[in-house]
Amino acid sequence: MTNREKTFNKNILIAVDESENARRAVSYVGQLLGGLEGFSVLLLHVFPEPDEDFFRTQAEKEQWMEKRRQKMESVLADYRGMLIDSGFGEDQVRTRSTMRYCPSMAECILEERGETEYSTIVVGRQGLSRSEEFLFGSISSKIVNHARNCTVWVVE
Amino acid sequence: MPEPSLSQQNLREMASRWLSPSKVPGRFRVHEDTTDFFRVEYDDVVVLDGATYLIRHNAKEQRFGLEDEVKFWVKRAIDLQDGELKILKLVFYEKFLSHVGDLEFECYRSPRKEARILDLVAGHPGFMQGHAVEDTGGNLIRVLDFINGRPLSKQINGLDLDHETYFYERLPGVLNRFKEAVEAIRFLHENREKHGDIRRDHILVDREDGRYRWIDFDYNYRHRENIYGYDLFGLGNILVFLVGMGDVIVRDLATRNPDALNTLSAEDLNLVFQNRVVNLRKVYPYIPVALNRMLLHFSRGTHVFYEQTSQLVSDLSEVLEAHLPPPETAEEKGETNDEPGEDLQQEHPHCGG
Repeated sequence: MTNREKTFNKNILIAVDESENARRAVSYVGQLLGGLEGFSVLLLHVFPEPDEDFFRTQAEKEQWMEKRRQKMESVLADYRGMLIDSGFGEDQVRTRSTMRYCPSMAECILEERGETEYSTIVVGRQGLSRSEEFLFGSISSKIVNHARNCTVWVVE
Repeated sequence: MPEPSLSQQNLREMASRWLSPSKVPGRFRVHEDTTDFFRVEYDDVVVLDGATYLIRHNAKEQRFGLEDEVKFWVKRAIDLQDGELKILKLVFYEKFLSHVGDLEFECYRSPRKEARILDLVAGHPGFMQGHAVEDTGGNLIRVLDFINGRPLSKQINGLDLDHETYFYERLPGVLNRFKEAVEAIRFLHENREKHGDIRRDHILVDREDGRYRWIDFDYNYRHRENIYGYDLFGLGNILVFLVGMGDVIVRDLATRNPDALNTLSAEDLNLVFQNRVVNLRKVYPYIPVALNRMLLHFSRGTHVFYEQTSQLVSDLSEVLEAHLPPPETAEEKGETNDEPGEDLQQEHPHCGG
């Protein structure tokens, strides 16, 4: 696919977590692109390394992280199944879960994309109120504002 | 049990250097492990890394409109080596969901965080000072220098001035000090630390030099996308409070200034606390547009948010330089009329509010 001199690939990165809006993003991609030739999808979950202050002990932290890891593995498997059910081949859908220090989830997602060469990022819209956006920040807004050399789909 | 060098006789001698004879206890209970902080009581001694502290009162939390709540894990103490007043913060873990307006988020108390920040801000005049030391039970105790001062909230609420006089005569000095306080928070953020519980009563106004000094860094919150958003929201609330010489409450305007009330819309109110007016220029028309524009960043009508403390510092500097009269030499006259010893360094239990 080309846009004048720029070439886009057919690799789609869907940034997910366990939220309903992430599920909507996966469902959207499944409905739109399922069964079409040439597309591949990466379901990316960035797992923010929890602040050490949150835990009394290292053991408590590790236990908490293990629980989260298991939960996300199950969620990613579920999303993968949704895409395959929509017509994607098994070899067209990959999953990746990574844990890292993330003061900004949006920046972490964009850094992951930079490493993995996906022309399109898909995220679910959280539907935050204005006060929530001020206090907590919006991942999708930040991705839209900061993404370079790629297209961003924000799924309502 | 006390070390031989800390016999009851030794302790009596040490205490008698700082207390009148009638106040010196006949017998001291000595704690080296403070895990059960309820057992650490008035006239007990806590020994930490060789230093000896005589416990006085528990700190109290000031509650809005409610009776003060005793904080059993925060003790006033006398350092028996030099007679200095200290605050000992013993270890109390808690996690809870905090509410700001209708918003809910996870908060927790972390001695480690406070210890780390105390190290970071050592020698910085914008923060309380102290150090952390482990007791024999492995509890990270924070030993804090006592600040002789009172909360900024009390200072402002205690002013006996009309707003216009306050605005022209005091506010420039107050905002100069506040700018220093925001710069102090910027320093934390630049070092990847949050304050975690920015409130008007977590600034103490030092009686010695008038500086604003941040206290209580042990709170933390689970941030989402905007790591410093909650800190910035706290700074905005203080700014609005300072410019308004207190909270300007919608209900109060009905009697105080019904004309202003009639001009207000929902967009003029606080982003979260919807009984507080943020568009203060509608109530006090002499507030410059540039300053009011800053306030509007924290209103329901805003489309632009501060994302970094540096943006707030920059706007505040511009307002101070170009839009307000220069501060008077006696910067904050509002800090007078204090009764010495009236206020204690407080410990507050909530993120938010």
